[in-house]
Amino acid sequence: MATTSPSLSPRPRPVPSARWRRFTKGGGAELLILLVGIIVLWSTISSLIPNPSRYLPAPLTVIFSSSDMLWKGLLPNYVGQTIWRLVLGSILGLLVGIPFGILLGLNRTVSDMFYPILNFFQSISGIAILPIIVVWWGNSEQTVFTVILYTALFPIAFNVLAGVRGIPIIYINVMRSLGASNMRIIRDVIIPGAMPNIATGARLGIGFAWRAVIAGEMLVGKRGLGWMIFTAQDTDHTDQVILGMVMIGTIWILIDRFALRPIEADTIQRWGLVQR
Amino acid sequence: MNAIQTLSVAIQKRFGRQRIRKIALGSIPFLVLLTLWRMNTVNEWLPPVYIPPMASVAEAIVILQDECTGLAGIFSMHQGCQFTNHVLSSMGRVGLALIIGVPTGIAFGVLAGMNRRISNTLEPIGVFANAISGIAWVPLAIVWFGIGAMTTLFILLNTIFWLVFFNTLLGVRGVPRALENSVLTLGGNRWNIITQVYIPGALPSIVTGVRMSMGFGWRALIAAEMIGGSSGLGFMIFVSASEYKIEEVFLGVLVIAVIWMITDRSFLVPLEKWTIQRWGLVWRPS
Repeated sequence: MATTSPSLSPRPRPVPSARWRRFTKGGGAELLILLVGIIVLWSTISSLIPNPSRYLPAPLTVIFSSSDMLWKGLLPNYVGQTIWRLVLGSILGLLVGIPFGILLGLNRTVSDMFYPILNFFQSISGIAILPIIVVWWGNSEQTVFTVILYTALFPIAFNVLAGVRGIPIIYINVMRSLGASNMRIIRDVIIPGAMPNIATGARLGIGFAWRAVIAGEMLVGKRGLGWMIFTAQDTDHTDQVILGMVMIGTIWILIDRFALRPIEADTIQRWGLVQR
Repeated sequence: MNAIQTLSVAIQKRFGRQRIRKIALGSIPFLVLLTLWRMNTVNEWLPPVYIPPMASVAEAIVILQDECTGLAGIFSMHQGCQFTNHVLSSMGRVGLALIIGVPTGIAFGVLAGMNRRISNTLEPIGVFANAISGIAWVPLAIVWFGIGAMTTLFILLNTIFWLVFFNTLLGVRGVPRALENSVLTLGGNRWNIITQVYIPGALPSIVTGVRMSMGFGWRALIAAEMIGGSSGLGFMIFVSASEYKIEEVFLGVLVIAVIWMITDRSFLVPLEKWTIQRWGLVWRPS
């Protein structure tokens, strides 16, 4: 018998509808319409203008060029190089910047001393010093790395220093009256207390570093996404320029949304109370 | 001795003891760096091709300004005043981009803050535009506008508009509904709500956005001038580096840093503080 009991009524399960509602409420529908709209608009414009392959190649052309570059293995190579530079530069920046910031922040006199100069170097962007480094070391891999490291290091060190300085002195005094050693204070008060600032500084530093990677590759001429869009422009391959831009945007959104932002939010949630 | 003591007490009273201490301490690393720089010139640890002597950096201004015809020449951007021309063209570009970018950013931000549908549409574009960092637009901008002022202006506008837009949007969203409803109850119309509730309520966030966009914009501008510009400080240091005139590069970098620090410290930071003090309470009624 195929009759169903009333309890198993043919009403649809609530899960898809709830998901659908969340999708539409979170702007999913608009996002879809937007994507379709942009692609339609883009194709129309590129079919209307003269010489579209130079000024605005159609979306299909970009997709073809991406499959072509994938086939030749160029795209994965460039993406890999760019990400590798970013990761290495950021890790070095964090490894140097965090201890540096903490050490400088420990002593009030020392931190007052170094605060202005860190601020000064933070405000010279890495790209601005790139010509100097190019004169020093030429168009080498070392030059790109120095620029990335420089760009990441100072925002990180500056924020860590500000974080250490922001810890209420009461916490340190309490630990001290309870007989804690200096190491203990650093471990249990200063590092946790500066955690939110360390996370913010890291996100800021890595964000600047990402821009420095792209610009550094363009100016120094080291293979990567920045180099790809720069040479593609030189050789009139606008489809590759657009492809590279889309890749740069997508990679940064992925890094920011799925790595940096969650880490920052978790850190502030976990350690942020110390500061209040 | 007594006179010196009274003088020092008077100075401390006038400027504040803590501030003097901070300034004095803060200048130590700079002095050390300058001394090292000077010692490098004297002892030649690193050849002057790598690190130029201080005097030649100062001299670079004179050389660049060689055929300048005084103040009138500076302001009419006479061809001989190369240095001030580069400075003025960079700063003028920032000013122009601010005049265009900030009002449009605020307008679209308020619009998007009022309407879910608009914000849902514009937000993903903005996220993507921000993620494609300023520099990555340069090659495409060169294709579209050619090398020159338009390209750099485009990069700058692109950076400023989206950051101001986002911060305005966040600010408008943060304005409590109660304020909006109370203005409506008192008989206000849509325009009143925008001018009396949304914009004042979002002002602290807007000013933060302007400051952020200036920070990112200045960096993006320097890079854009290097790659796709034909004037400006970025262009200057890039060309000088390719001609191995390291003293001009040092000069340019120092000027870039000093301009940014002066703008940020004595203009943007006080503005932000003042706005938060003045308007920040509007959206924290608790």
